Amino acid sequence: MIAITVFSTIRPLRMQLKLPVVGDVVLPIPGRLFLPILFAVTAARPKLTETLRELSFIHFARWSLIRRLPYNGPPQRKRRFRYAHMYFESNFNGGWEEYIDAFSHILTDGMTAFWGSSFGFPKPLPTAPFKTYIQRNETEASHYYCAYPEATTTMVLRALELDGRLAPLRGRAAQMDPEAFAAAYERLLTDVQGCL
Amino acid sequence: MLRRRDPNVVGQAYGFQAMTPIRPGEEDALRAYLEGLYDDDRPSPLAKLERTHIARWVIITDFVNDRAWGQRRAEHLELPYLVFTSNFDGDLDSYLDELCSKLATEAAEVWGRCVGCPVQAEGAALKAYLKHNQVDCGLFFTPYGDATVPVVKDALAQREQMIAFATDSQGLDPAALQAAFVREFGG
Amino acid sequence: MAPGAKQHPPVHIDFGDIQGDILRAYGNTYDCTSYAFVHIDCAPEQARAWFSGVVDHVTTANPWPRGEKPLTTLNVALTAPGLRALGVSDDKVGSFSREFREGMSDAARAVLLGDVGPSAPSQWERGLGTGETHVLLTINAQQPVDHKRALGKMKAAMKAAGGVRVIYQEDTEMLPGAREHFGYADGFAQPAVEGATERKVRGGGIPLQDGGWRAFAPGEFILGYPDEDTRVDPQRRLPNMPADPLGRSGTYMVWRKLYQDVALWRRTMRAAAKLYTAGDEDLLSAKVVGRWANGTPLVTHPDAPDDEFHPSSSQANDFRYDDDLDGMRCPLGSHIRRSNPRDALGWGGSLSFRHRMIRRGMPYGAVLPEGVMEDDGVDRGLVFVSFQASISRQFEGVQVQWLNAGNIFGLGNDKDYLLGDPFGKGKMTIQGKPPFLLSPQETFVTTRGGEYLFVPGMTALAALADGTTG
Repeated sequence: MIAITVFSTIRPLRMQLKLPVVGDVVLPIPGRLFLPILFAVTAARPKLTETLRELSFIHFARWSLIRRLPYNGPPQRKRRFRYAHMYFESNFNGGWEEYIDAFSHILTDGMTAFWGSSFGFPKPLPTAPFKTYIQRNETEASHYYCAYPEATTTMVLRALELDGRLAPLRGRAAQMDPEAFAAAYERLLTDVQGCL
Repeated sequence: MLRRRDPNVVGQAYGFQAMTPIRPGEEDALRAYLEGLYDDDRPSPLAKLERTHIARWVIITDFVNDRAWGQRRAEHLELPYLVFTSNFDGDLDSYLDELCSKLATEAAEVWGRCVGCPVQAEGAALKAYLKHNQVDCGLFFTPYGDATVPVVKDALAQREQMIAFATDSQGLDPAALQAAFVREFGG
Repeated sequence: MAPGAKQHPPVHIDFGDIQGDILRAYGNTYDCTSYAFVHIDCAPEQARAWFSGVVDHVTTANPWPRGEKPLTTLNVALTAPGLRALGVSDDKVGSFSREFREGMSDAARAVLLGDVGPSAPSQWERGLGTGETHVLLTINAQQPVDHKRALGKMKAAMKAAGGVRVIYQEDTEMLPGAREHFGYADGFAQPAVEGATERKVRGGGIPLQDGGWRAFAPGEFILGYPDEDTRVDPQRRLPNMPADPLGRSGTYMVWRKLYQDVALWRRTMRAAAKLYTAGDEDLLSAKVVGRWANGTPLVTHPDAPDDEFHPSSSQANDFRYDDDLDGMRCPLGSHIRRSNPRDALGWGGSLSFRHRMIRRGMPYGAVLPEGVMEDDGVDRGLVFVSFQASISRQFEGVQVQWLNAGNIFGLGNDKDYLLGDPFGKGKMTIQGKPPFLLSPQETFVTTRGGEYLFVPGMTALAALADGTTG
């Protein structure tokens, strides 16, 4: 499993966006106002994260928008930041390069919506400058923990699916006659072969 | 329509993030301490928090400034910050209670190097400090927010068990297959 | 974004500046190939004197006049220590890719590549993966007699120059019917490249969603040319390459010696087939490979091979997986489906089209006679050679994510069954109703050595020989 942590600084005035049919547009909406709306809409509509789910790379991901940080006393300065800053982290499997490639090619418009208001953000395509941008904005974790480090997202999802499908046969296996059991087991195996 | 919801929650999973300023001169020691927690023979102390799926500590030394791209004024962090994020099962309060008691030794080494951390970095005082420094998620995503850590781990183990069983039982006659299945999986 | 969407101006390739056998294969007329790994043990000036004698005889990619194939060919590649040994500055060496500079045997990399246990670099042939290899000379010959003469000339030149010697040499020979040692037709599925091999576009190019195919931009394989990223870049930037004059017309090369335990393979297939479709070994092994022994793809011929099939025909690779997404005909984890998934990963091919490489491998060692089930102790296997613009994206992407893991295909921890498991564990799911779980996965293939190399263009070779690279 790989951890990625990326910070970016939000443009104060304009928002880059790719809309269906219209294409690339720049809206005069500050990213610090636009992004919370985008987050809320995305969270409320599972359809918008369906591609993310189908790609099945990510275990957990979060975006947060930071405009001020809680004050803890000196020498911390008490202030509101001039710019809003976006924090992004993801926990994914596969290779770093595959992960970024997949995002560039498949979530092209989504990436533009989420990062289009960040300074220095190139378009997701071509991939080479985009990868350079991420590398520049990325910070390596000092300590990383996962309770099941060997499992990929797909393995977790399929193991959960297998559990649901196996349970009924587990429940009645002992009571069946052998021929009926063998037939039921073969059907089950055929059904769950994608989970094994 | 959009419903108001806790932005830190998906299903039963909670995404916690705290950002705390690191005291001047402590960054290197903190980094060394955190990196030293990696050890092949020793589990991460975070394993003591059994509700944790995935967690990390990251040290952010500054914002990324991009003057070349039209950012007119640079903005800097006056101090390096420690970011702690954890994706765990259930509610925040009981998780932080657990963290503040089970991780007291480590917490003193980690948050003890941060500005404003209580001198006794444990218990209710530490919990209040972490909650004070919580950063809300804008968007939190996970495809299996309903599955707790033990559920995930059991399912993964059962998958391995099923693979081994399906492999070894090929060619058995129905009665032997059934007997083997019942032995393996009960029923 | 579909990988086929945009057109770009036609590309003119300067074949005279590119070494031969990369974009276009020399072909099966060359039965013998030797790979000689050279160590330089003298000052850069002295090494360059020898090297310029080599460069004078290097074969370029210029087409040969009809019927005038030379009796022998010579090609040159260098490792990162080799560049330094010829006097290239650290600064210039630093402009090469990280994986090339670190080498294939780097400890963390070896684990990712699956070179562990008996395949670990510590077990490799002497001189390989130790940093001692500087230059690789590849010599092709039509006849054994030409081959012997060319090797003699090479060694005489080294002796005369002094300070350079061959520390490892692998001699390979084409097997009857262009098969590899497990008995399968090999090496005929190559990417179709714009301006070079477009006639093989059906099956060799990028599968488009409208059913058509498109040739690869040459920069995927030769540096200094537009690649697939350039295609979607309004500024038409070229891929990163080593500093001038070293990078232009060059490519990265992966060389691996893969031992094949043929007897173990045969015994395993025979034993496992007893539990599978009435002992049909041919079908079971075809399921592992994804093709029948003569090369017929399983996805188009799931029940029996096409006896008329010919690997060199233009339709030989013209197939897709779109109507076999569940792997009932060609298993999801079969070798050819893993190494080149075409459209199998969905998303309009965008997860796979940047991971192709040109392969120029050769089998080594004598054939284990048909029917022999016990090992005879002979060293035999495959010399794997690939050319690509990025070792990390192309070779390592395929080796690490596709062959040595199963996740992207929905296959959990399964590895490519054909390549074996260094620890003899693992299994392969052969989809069916019901599926068959093929196990154990023995150590059929063992890595016995390897290097990451760079194949400079002709201008770069001249600069290396003159010591004018900076």
